Amino acid sequence: MHFRRSIAALASLGSFFLVTACAGDDLNAEDPDATPQTSAGGGGEVAISGQSFPEAELVAAMYTHLLEDAGYTVDVKLVDTRDVYMQQFPGQVDVVPEYVGGIVDFLNVTENGADADPLTTSDAAESIGNAESLLEGQGITLLEPSEATDTNAFFVTQEYSEQNGVTTLSDLEGETVTLAAAPDCEGRADCAGGLEEVYGIDIEEVLPLGFASPQTYKSVLDGESQLGLTSTTDGTLESQGLVLLEDDQAIQPAQNLVPAVSTEFLDEHPDVEEPLTALMAALTTENLTELNGRVAVDREAAEDVAHDFLVEQGLLEE
Amino acid sequence: MNIFADTWSYLTDPANWQGSGGILARLLEQLLLTGTALALAMLIGMPIALWLGHLGRGGFLAINISNVGRAIPTFALLALLVSADWPGSAEFGPYGRAGLATLIALVLFALPPIVTQSYVAVREVPGEVKESARGMGMTGRQQLFRVELPLALPLVVSGARLALVQVWATATIAALVAGPGLGRIITDGFYRSNYPQGIAGAIVVALVALVLEVAAASLQRLADPLRASSGRGKPLSEAGHTLQEAETG
Repeated sequence: MHFRRSIAALASLGSFFLVTACAGDDLNAEDPDATPQTSAGGGGEVAISGQSFPEAELVAAMYTHLLEDAGYTVDVKLVDTRDVYMQQFPGQVDVVPEYVGGIVDFLNVTENGADADPLTTSDAAESIGNAESLLEGQGITLLEPSEATDTNAFFVTQEYSEQNGVTTLSDLEGETVTLAAAPDCEGRADCAGGLEEVYGIDIEEVLPLGFASPQTYKSVLDGESQLGLTSTTDGTLESQGLVLLEDDQAIQPAQNLVPAVSTEFLDEHPDVEEPLTALMAALTTENLTELNGRVAVDREAAEDVAHDFLVEQGLLEE
Repeated sequence: MNIFADTWSYLTDPANWQGSGGILARLLEQLLLTGTALALAMLIGMPIALWLGHLGRGGFLAINISNVGRAIPTFALLALLVSADWPGSAEFGPYGRAGLATLIALVLFALPPIVTQSYVAVREVPGEVKESARGMGMTGRQQLFRVELPLALPLVVSGARLALVQVWATATIAALVAGPGLGRIITDGFYRSNYPQGIAGAIVVALVALVLEVAAASLQRLADPLRASSGRGKPLSEAGHTLQEAETG
């Protein structure tokens, strides 16, 4: 008896899973079709995707607040790498908070191979112009880029900067340094390669400790390395007694923040452009750095920081 | 297929084996790291485990404490040790950057198989044998060294053999804190999208693991005290033989 009852229980449990699994499938299958059904402008569904590092999370939260304010139902899925969401964009994903150099390089490499000539320069508008046909072919429109830019940057300790009078990377010319950086830094034109060839810095060793990782900070603070790799919008440097050196010979490609929108989606929903463009105009490298610091150092939630900023800038009502 | 061809050409290019960051240098670094960690773990674990096995108690505690080492991810431990003030990430002689932290993490990783196997090995020596030893008037120390240890040796060595192969493969994590070893070949390869290099590094690690395993297995066979009598079945079947002959004759 007991045995039979438990079989029945198992069977019903099994069918329950089957039913829920089917329901899930249906929802997923309908998702891409759901957007065209809505009328032009004034709401509907919008799918945002992008990378999941803290700054991207923060900017995605700003997008979410603004688009929800414009009457959209927003679905955000952030993933680890660009390769993943670019499989679904444009198509299932409508809007991506991007960086000019990041997306242009990605399209260039995937279309023209790893050895293709780079399309990116240190100027954002020029980079986008170079990639115009690539973007058109993919059905992607880049809106007006922001002045805020997030490129590789190199830091030293405040003490080192003062003692040696170093404020720009050119000041390090001829010096021998150890660099704590991401494992792919060696030889790259926007990393160790550029420091050696353009700036003439003698890099004794690249310690593969990660991009802006705790290990990288620690190595520089301990004096094991003199130079560390982070981004221009790193909001944690000041509180750790670290300072950025200026890229005065512009080895970094333009990595200005820019909204990448599916061209088809934009044609149907032209009203998403205005709030996103206003956001890009409001962001600067300085205020983005400060906002990143509030998330990373003060441990505030990205959504709250995004909301405060938008209200402060008059882009969102309280 | 292309990537395998590239991996092969990476492995067969002598330039990749030479120099300070070459495969050979990295391999020696990792062997040194593995050997030291294993020796330390044996030095710490074996005396305690053998003695407890001889006493026949306290083993539950020892095995479970050392098993904590199995439950803690070695990389998490390494990350913790490196970010602490001591041992930190300082250079440590030939063990390179974060050498001390890596050694500590690997020793803790090597302890569970060594402690468990050594304890069980002595514990499982047949009761009759122990009793005979006691009957012959042996002291506890004599029992352990003359009777239990020789009989337990194959199992004790198998614990060290297990630890050796595990530590060898795990020592690649030193690369994650910019330490020495073959892990650097693997991580550098993957982070720079040079997959042939990453795969080549993994292949070298796997091959050396096999070599170590085979070497340790033959060592284990040498340690078997009953090896000389070449199988215990033989005298019996010979006896059967004579019995049969007696019947027919």
